[in-house]
Amino acid sequence: MSVNHQCSYDSGRRGNARRGLGSLGIVLGVTAFAALLLSFTVVAEVPGAIPPQGAHDGKDVAQPIEFPHNIHADVNKINCMYCHTYARRSKVAGIPPTSKCMGCHSVIATDKPRIKKLTEYWENREPPPWNKVHDVPDYVHFTHEKHLKRFVFDNDALPTENVSEVCAFCHGEVKTMTVAHKTKPLNMGFCKRCHEANHGPFDCWQCHK
Amino acid sequence: MSANKVNRREFMKIVGLSGAGAALAGCDMPTTVTLEEGKERVVSYLVPEEYVIPGIGVWFASTCQACPAGCGFHGRVREGRVLKLEGNPDSPINYSKLCQMGQASLQTHYNPDRLTQPLLRQNGELSPVSWDEAFKLLEKKIGAGSGVSGDKFAWVTGTVSGHQAVLIKAHLEALNSGNHFVHEVINTAVGQAVSRDMLGDARPRYRLDRAQAVLSFGADFLGTWNSPVHFATQYAKFRAAPRGVLIQAEPAMSLTGANADLWLPVRPGTEGVLALGIANSLIFKHHVDASHLPLTVRNLIANYPFIEVAKVTGVSGDLIERAAAMLKKHSPSLVISGPSAEGHVHGYESATAVMLLNILLGNVGQTIEPGHSFPLPQLAAREGNTADLLSFAEGLKNKRFDTVFFYGTNPVYTAPASLSLEEHLAKVPFKVAFSMFRDETTALADLVLPIRSALEDWGTHAAGYQPGEPVLGFQQPLMEPLYQTTRGMGDLLLALLTMQRASDYAPFADYYAYLNNFAAGLPAGVRHGAANDKEFWQATLQTGLIKLVGEARTLSVSASTADLPAYKVDSEYQYHLVPAARLGMWDGRHANIPWLQEAPDQITKTVWDSWVEMHPATAAKFDVKVGDYVRVSSAQGSIEAQAFIYKGIQKDAIAVPMGRGHTEYGRYNVDPTGKPRGVNPLKILSPVTDSKTGELALFATRVRIEKTGRTHELVKMGSNDTQLGRKLAATITSDQFNRTEGGKTDVA
Repeated sequence: MSVNHQCSYDSGRRGNARRGLGSLGIVLGVTAFAALLLSFTVVAEVPGAIPPQGAHDGKDVAQPIEFPHNIHADVNKINCMYCHTYARRSKVAGIPPTSKCMGCHSVIATDKPRIKKLTEYWENREPPPWNKVHDVPDYVHFTHEKHLKRFVFDNDALPTENVSEVCAFCHGEVKTMTVAHKTKPLNMGFCKRCHEANHGPFDCWQCHK
Repeated sequence: MSANKVNRREFMKIVGLSGAGAALAGCDMPTTVTLEEGKERVVSYLVPEEYVIPGIGVWFASTCQACPAGCGFHGRVREGRVLKLEGNPDSPINYSKLCQMGQASLQTHYNPDRLTQPLLRQNGELSPVSWDEAFKLLEKKIGAGSGVSGDKFAWVTGTVSGHQAVLIKAHLEALNSGNHFVHEVINTAVGQAVSRDMLGDARPRYRLDRAQAVLSFGADFLGTWNSPVHFATQYAKFRAAPRGVLIQAEPAMSLTGANADLWLPVRPGTEGVLALGIANSLIFKHHVDASHLPLTVRNLIANYPFIEVAKVTGVSGDLIERAAAMLKKHSPSLVISGPSAEGHVHGYESATAVMLLNILLGNVGQTIEPGHSFPLPQLAAREGNTADLLSFAEGLKNKRFDTVFFYGTNPVYTAPASLSLEEHLAKVPFKVAFSMFRDETTALADLVLPIRSALEDWGTHAAGYQPGEPVLGFQQPLMEPLYQTTRGMGDLLLALLTMQRASDYAPFADYYAYLNNFAAGLPAGVRHGAANDKEFWQATLQTGLIKLVGEARTLSVSASTADLPAYKVDSEYQYHLVPAARLGMWDGRHANIPWLQEAPDQITKTVWDSWVEMHPATAAKFDVKVGDYVRVSSAQGSIEAQAFIYKGIQKDAIAVPMGRGHTEYGRYNVDPTGKPRGVNPLKILSPVTDSKTGELALFATRVRIEKTGRTHELVKMGSNDTQLGRKLAATITSDQFNRTEGGKTDVA
């Protein structure tokens, strides 16, 4: 008796899903902070797109393996979509299957401690239990597919090799990090300003459906 | 955090004070307060399936088991979780539709009260044991060396079909026992007996879609009768132009009754009289040719002039005339009987009188067609009834059983209190329950084996009512079991059989292999062009069913009818109890599905609780207002629930819905005060049976009503039955309609 599916995206408890709104002070404080953010730009230029504005000082999230995004994306220039292969086809970008990691690492860098740990997971037939860094609330429908279509595949001015510049809109300069670190607020104001600047859909139900 | 809480009013003030800037800032807030990094896990596939893209659903076909109708469904699976069920377009039973029970069966699967490990009664309490221990005990009690054999052993199940039926039968044969009791409260046993005796086919096909008029005596074909989703589709065709006319005669309004053009509130138990009265009117007033009926039958009908019939049935002569006129005018018609007509001491005779109308009107062969034989008879449905419950109870009373196995039924909940099932069951030395939940029956078992949900298991299922060419529904797992410690029912049956007949059953590694082997053995005629076994198996899983080739049976009409007993008034228990069945709670099996508990009842709009339906005249007699708690007592006991007062019930009837009042069925059946939610009308039924079939006469209980003095607001959707003068929908009186719109008495 067997079923040929395995489970992915095993979400744990939705912690801290609802809390009260902040006090008047927080509201006004954030207003001022948002106004401040609007006044400067940090993201590299992408032709045919105006990058979203905003910054977030995310906390460090410990991962089972300290995955070095910098070695993969920066040193070795591996395209983001090589590993996050579902991004162009689905709402989620997807964490690469462990089999994909092992495709290279059964021969590459097998003596490194992080790869040894990965190999251990693989041999135990268990994917590493990664901790989620980037997320939007359940009442927000966000799709990677549509955003990549707009900014990369329908954007003749941007070569597909440079996709990481578009990823950086929302995920920050991941190629300078080891494990991902949240540097963008990913809140509604952040989304709205970008949709406004780039003439994205602006109906409530486009995201809240 | 509490110091930072802002209520809605304060929030509006803040927005007002600081204007649009603050409102926009609100959009920048949530992420900092609602989502924290690193709080959730995101686990990748180890090795991905080729067809799986996270975020995109894949649909798999399977067969629904929320009721015995056997609908096919497609289930949407995403990231290894089944999320949504919809009707299978390939199924000739339900086409692409699925009812609310089928849709809600997701919550049977994801129910937090699922049993996750075997339980054994130790020192009076059910406590967890390992599967090894459970099997050791089973081996000791019923294994080859145990000496258990013969009629001391019994299986008590709900309707079973397909390979479950085959394996249960084989298990009984291995133990040399003939005790298979198949129990369903909502069944069509009496109607089937009548069809068999009068048409020569217990399971003819009803063609509402070909009928111009339908007269139904309590057959709630849109809700609970035979194959409701199939009939709902036929009903749509029946109502399409030229619009068919629907007449419903029943003591308490059902979903079908609510859709009728003419609703006849008939005194419970007099449905047969009403049918003969309509026949009388057809022959003697409307001159319908009755020469094809035997003289004895014609003479009997002549004894039911509509004036007399009106007195007995409580349906006015005018309405009887109108119903007869409609049937005469709209041909072909279809007349059917359901549980409220059949659930009486003379239920068989009443259903006979109803079927007679079809013969009189020439409907047989037009809107009643012969069914098809099921080409694999061993897989055909073993349909449940209440006669089996009664003979099981009788056997218990006489201490006939040492070992009883329960599966797919909850007789301790559904049996009337007068059967004392609980008390007698306590004396059976070894009771095993195969169940997903702790329910009233499971709670009394000595060994409880937790089984997989319908969405996690393999299987084959054949509907008892096959509306088209016969099909065998295929059930496949839509996802990995939520609890690895549960087992599939088929696997367990094979394990039981291996204890007895190792040489026959040990070769199958599991139920999957067993079904695979069955499919490989099917003849080319049903393979629909599949090149080899593998291709056929894949095609079967893709469509979710195997279309079989059956042979059409023939109908041979024999018109007969018997005189019906005179109506008796009971001076102590003046009212008739109608245990109403609904597409929702069904017989109580879905009471642990919160979606169905919160779905407003189709007629009364009540949620999460039981109610007592009363006619305004009855309520006035007892000074009962909506929401008052009313005690309904029969000679067998009493129940208390809130009154719901409306005209959709016959004046001498009191209706209480089936399905609630569980003492054991998980968290959703306990109200906030810790008491059971609602009441169970089946408990106070009189131990009366249909004299011909031995079926429990569900609608033959007489009750009395008392006001308890307690009252509470009745929780329901829509608090008002009038428009409060708002003219949301335009209405005119029937008088005005007749005057200005040329209304006639035969206007539907």
